[in-house]
Formats: sequence, structure tokens, C-alpha cells
Amino acid sequence: MATETPVLELRAVDVAYHGDIRILQGMSMAVRPGKITGVIGPNGAGKSTALRTLYGLLKPVAGDVLVDGEVVTGMPPWRFIERGISLVPQNRSLFNELSVEDNLQLACWSFRRDKARVAEALERAYAQFPILKDRRTQYAGAMSGGQQRFLELGRALALQPRAVLLDEPTAMIAPKLAAEIYEFIHGLPKQGITVLLVDQNVRQCVRVADHVYVLELGRNKIDGSASDFTKDADLRNLIAEWVDYRIDA
Amino acid sequence: MEILVLNGIVNGLIVGGIYALIGMSLTLLYGVLRIVNFAHGEFVIGGSFLAYALFSNLGLAPLFSLPVAALSFFAMGWGAYYLLLPRLQKSDDPEIMSFLMMYGVSIALAAVMLLIFEADSRSIDYSFTPISMKVGPIYVSTARIVAFGIVIVLAAALTWFLFRTLPGKALRATIMNPEAIKIVGVDVVKLSAFAFALASAIAGVTGVLVALVFPAFNPFSGAEYSIIGFIVVVLGGLGNPLGALLAGILYGLAEQLATVFLPQAMAPIVGFGILVAVILIRPTGLMGWRAQR
Repeated sequence: MATETPVLELRAVDVAYHGDIRILQGMSMAVRPGKITGVIGPNGAGKSTALRTLYGLLKPVAGDVLVDGEVVTGMPPWRFIERGISLVPQNRSLFNELSVEDNLQLACWSFRRDKARVAEALERAYAQFPILKDRRTQYAGAMSGGQQRFLELGRALALQPRAVLLDEPTAMIAPKLAAEIYEFIHGLPKQGITVLLVDQNVRQCVRVADHVYVLELGRNKIDGSASDFTKDADLRNLIAEWVDYRIDA
Repeated sequence: MEILVLNGIVNGLIVGGIYALIGMSLTLLYGVLRIVNFAHGEFVIGGSFLAYALFSNLGLAPLFSLPVAALSFFAMGWGAYYLLLPRLQKSDDPEIMSFLMMYGVSIALAAVMLLIFEADSRSIDYSFTPISMKVGPIYVSTARIVAFGIVIVLAAALTWFLFRTLPGKALRATIMNPEAIKIVGVDVVKLSAFAFALASAIAGVTGVLVALVFPAFNPFSGAEYSIIGFIVVVLGGLGNPLGALLAGILYGLAEQLATVFLPQAMAPIVGFGILVAVILIRPTGLMGWRAQR
């Protein structure tokens, strides 16, 4: 596994806002194919910034972004979709005054003229989240928070991506729905989908992830396999100190 | 008096339709690109001069200038976008920078038109047969009726495009959530270039209608149309094309009816008065986006 080329990678990346406020400093991270890679850390650690940089929404001032080992630093976000990588961001990314079906159709933009493929993608989303089919003519903004999250997940997965980046997928979601979403995420590698999961929910993130990165103040603190995090008492204590959550042995 | 009021309403609808087209294209530009296009009025007057030049030199009737204006202004807008705007997006404050740059472009365009057509006011010496038609108890010039018909067709086509086609929905989606449109895989550079080109084409066509409806135009008329366009955009709700349609017609009606009851010089005051009232009572405009910007 160690020799496999990562689907996505950050190499010694610095990201700055307003020219000189460094949010990421020398950050490195590799997303291995067919695995779930977790990213945890306290607020302000740079988790979402790392993910947005990986997806081309932010351009690093130093270091590189790689897809399949190829340097793609500065590549715009819409090219990531073409390369089979989708993002579900932390903040709602729906078009509230468009219908559920319109939201899904816009995700098919790159192959919009291929009607059969678009119909197939929509059916795929409806099969995974049947509630979306029931609500397909409803405005996205009129749905509940959980249903909106299903729509975002359905939209990302309708394209049959080989990798999906998830930023706080259960933020502001009722616990029961959140548990369903984690089970869903856990099953994605079985469908051949690589996952990068950025999460504040340390317990769930460590539970579903194969490899976990811990960030602090825009830098890599430590990383290791999920079992490292559950077996190593020092590591557990360290995490407990940083993120104010103790992982059960 | 009744005749005067009816006359005011009919002319208000016709003139308001033209203002609505200016507002719809301007609000599309602002909504999609976050660009304050102060040169939009010059684009409109550029369309008027194009129709004038085609009629004066080639004898082409203004109605035939419409497709020429649409195509040439679309191409010009597409080129101008790539020349001027991508770099602007890299500045710290693209909205202010766009305002300053497009103000400069408006002065430059007015100067170019001055150079070519000189400062005299121009009009197209073309008349339809019959020259006017009876609408109820009043007579309206045929040119104005034709222009209003074209406004209705254009506004309906634009509304259909924005609400019924996927590229139109993508433009509206960009207004609703500019970051999400990148996330779902839409090439926003091409989409923005298309929005700029489309807005320029509408401005060019509107210019031909201005030449039909208003008695004269000159190289400096553009600023007036830009200001009216901005009023319509704010009245309708920033970035809302349907709001601009409604606001344009309301503004036109207010302006024309004001001339019935008040001295002509009061018309702009009434228009601005409505703007101030709407901002005070409903700062998002008549149809500002409710849930999302």
C-alpha cells in the first residue's frame, strides 16, 4: 500500500489569506486510493483550508498539489470533477432557489449534452437517497438540513467519482441522521470510492478512517493508522489534549 | 386629463420596457461577475450609433440592425471579457476596481464615439408606415409599438433562457452561490465570459431600440442610461433579472406619469424618490433574493 500513488496529495504547502496571514505552513498529506483518510484537529487548525486547497479553491503560495502523482497546483476546481474527484464542503453548497433535480443536473454540467448519461446520474442519486426522488421538484432551500446534506452527497456521488472529499459531513445534523451518514461513508471504499474526511467528530472520524492526520495551527502534528490512535496511549492523550476529546482504547 | 394619463401609461410601459432590458442585462452582469459596469450605458448608445451608421451608410432599416447589433456586441463582449476582467478578479476588491475600470472604459467609449460621430445629437431618419397607430383613444408612434413588441419578445426569451435552460439556471445558480458553482464542476471563466457577452448583446440590441423610441442620442447619452440602469437594478434587487424587469417598467411608468402631473424637470426626482423609498422600506429591492446570495 505504501508504494501506491496517492489519489490526492499536498506537499509542503503554505496557504495565506490577504497576502501574509499563513493558514497552512508546510502542510503535507496523502490520500491513498480505496481508503478513508481522516483529518482532525482543533478549530483553526487548517482542516477545511487544507481540503479547499486540495480541491483548487485556494492556491498555495508555496508547495504543490498533486493528483495521481501529477503536479496540478493552480488547477481550477471544475477540472477536479473531470478527473473523478468531488467535494462536499462544510457550508451548504446548494442552489436554494433551484429544484432538487436542477441541483443534480448542474452537477452533470461537464457532460450535460449526453442526455442518457445525465439521466443515469440522476437515477443513481435517487437510488442512493430515495427522498431526493420524492422531493425532486421542490426547491433545495425548502428541505431540512439533513435532506440538504443528502442532496449534496447524492450530487457528489451521482457522478461516480473515484474520490470524494467530505468536510464536516454531519455538522448541524441530527444524531440519528449523522450515524446513517457515517455508515454510508464507511461503505464508500467498497464501492471503489476513496474518501478524505475532515471532521470535528473525532470518535467517528477515527472509527471510519484507515489513516488519520492530526493538524495543529496549520501544520501537521502527527498522523497514523486508526489503530495507532486507539492503541497508543500517548497518542490518545495527545489528541485528548488538542481536541478536547478522549479516544477509547 | 384622462388622455394625458393614458398617454403617460402607454409611454411609461414602452420606455419602461427599454429600462427593464438595460436593468436585466446590468443585473445579470453584477450577479454573475460582481462587476459594476459603469460603461453599460455606452454599450447601449454604441448600439444606437451602430443602427445609425448601418442606416446612414447602407440604408439598412433599424429592425435589420437588431441581429447585427446582437451578434457584434456578443462577440465584442466575449473579447472584452478576456481582455479586461480575469485580471480584475485577482485584485483585493474586484467590485470597486471594476467600477473604476468600467468608469474609465465609459469615458474612453464616449470619446471614441465623439471622434467618429462628433458631438451633435443624432437620430435615425426612418419611419414605419403608418407613422402612428390608434391605441384606444390615443395615437402612439408605430416605432414605439414595434419597439415595445421587441422588448416583450426579448424579455420573454431572456426569462425563458434563465428559468428553463441549464446554462440559464447555471447563471442564476452563480448569482445564488458563486463558490458552489465551481464545486459542482462548472467552468466559471467560460460562464462569466458568456454572461458578459450576453449582457453586451442585450445592451447593443437595446441601443437599437433607443434609437427607435427616443428622439435623439449623442456620444454622452450613455451615462444617463447607466444611471437609470443602476436605479432599476437596485429597485429590482441586486442580481435578480425578474426584479429588474418589474423595476424597469415601474420606473418608466413613474417617469412618464410624473411628466403628466409635474414639470418635466421633476421626472428624474420622482424616479430617485422611488429608489430612496424602496431602499428605506425594503433594502433588498422589490425582488431581492430571499434566502441566499
